[in-house]
Amino acid sequence: MGAAAATLDYDAELMLRVKDGDGISFGLLLDKHRAPVVHFLYRLVQEQPVAEELAQEVFLRVYRSRSSYEPTAKFTTWLFRIATHLALNWLRDGRHERGQQRLDDGLSNGPGRQISDGRPTVEQQLVYEVKLEQVRQAVATLPGKQRAAVLMHKYEEMEYSQIAKVLGCSESAVKSLLFRAYESLRARLAHMG
Amino acid sequence: MTCPMESRNPEMLVAYSAGELDPETASALERHLAGCPACRLLAADQAAVWKALDAWETPRIALDFDQRLFRRIREEVRFSWWERISRPFRPMPFRQALPLTVSACLLLMAGLVLQHPGRIGPVEPRHETVRLDQVERTLDDLELLRQVGMANQPESGNSNAM
Repeated sequence: MGAAAATLDYDAELMLRVKDGDGISFGLLLDKHRAPVVHFLYRLVQEQPVAEELAQEVFLRVYRSRSSYEPTAKFTTWLFRIATHLALNWLRDGRHERGQQRLDDGLSNGPGRQISDGRPTVEQQLVYEVKLEQVRQAVATLPGKQRAAVLMHKYEEMEYSQIAKVLGCSESAVKSLLFRAYESLRARLAHMG
Repeated sequence: MTCPMESRNPEMLVAYSAGELDPETASALERHLAGCPACRLLAADQAAVWKALDAWETPRIALDFDQRLFRRIREEVRFSWWERISRPFRPMPFRQALPLTVSACLLLMAGLVLQHPGRIGPVEPRHETVRLDQVERTLDDLELLRQVGMANQPESGNSNAM
């Protein structure tokens, strides 16, 4: 919690410097939060070019709002609130249905999975890709809010209270959202264990 | 420990898989799991989901991500300067423009009245001139008719005689 408070202070301090016209502080914030935001958006919309485009919009909105910024909440809460809002709008508009890419398209630029000696065999790679496709499809079947809640909980390691603030609901609603989401995921993915 | 499933607190099993429980609660739950097949099954399934999600890696972010972002910011800054300069000249929404237009018209009319006080009044002299002309013309016509009538009288008298 101490580390979280320090992070809050540091990010908010940087943002306040951006408010005073310090471009370097904006660069530092971008460096720190670029990957978490893009990865969160990628898992949410499941299309890398779209995720990057939305992330650009997120940081652009942060920059635009610099003059009115007040550190009333944790910086990451504000950041992920913008990101979630944009992604859920994108999903709601049904734009993802037009150009859903294949899983392997997303992985073609990906890091690849390093198994034991560093290079996976073709068979290992195929098994991995089949499993990953199942994970992606299982997550894609979740309603938008459940999906966002799971991704923030699992990958961003956010506390229930922070997820609640991002999604604009109560902490108990988040617990319920997460339980229902994991219930669906258990039905689809438990056999992979 | 009471069974999380029976006490309607299955979220505890999710929290356990996520490693969110404090050590004391976690060890109490582990003791419970040893004797509760339903909770054990749920915890195992949740652990499998956790492991499956762990395997989901993300693609690399494009190298020109920052470059594109800063280009957009530069464009935005340039645009915002243009916005500030051009804002007074942009067409306004009807509701905002109406009072301004009415005020401008009133000012213009007031200016005209002050500049040409004789031209704007209740009586239009041009209209009266036209009426005088008409009266004069009518009187001339009547005089002509009278003269013509007088000239024709002896002839009509002759005809009557005939």
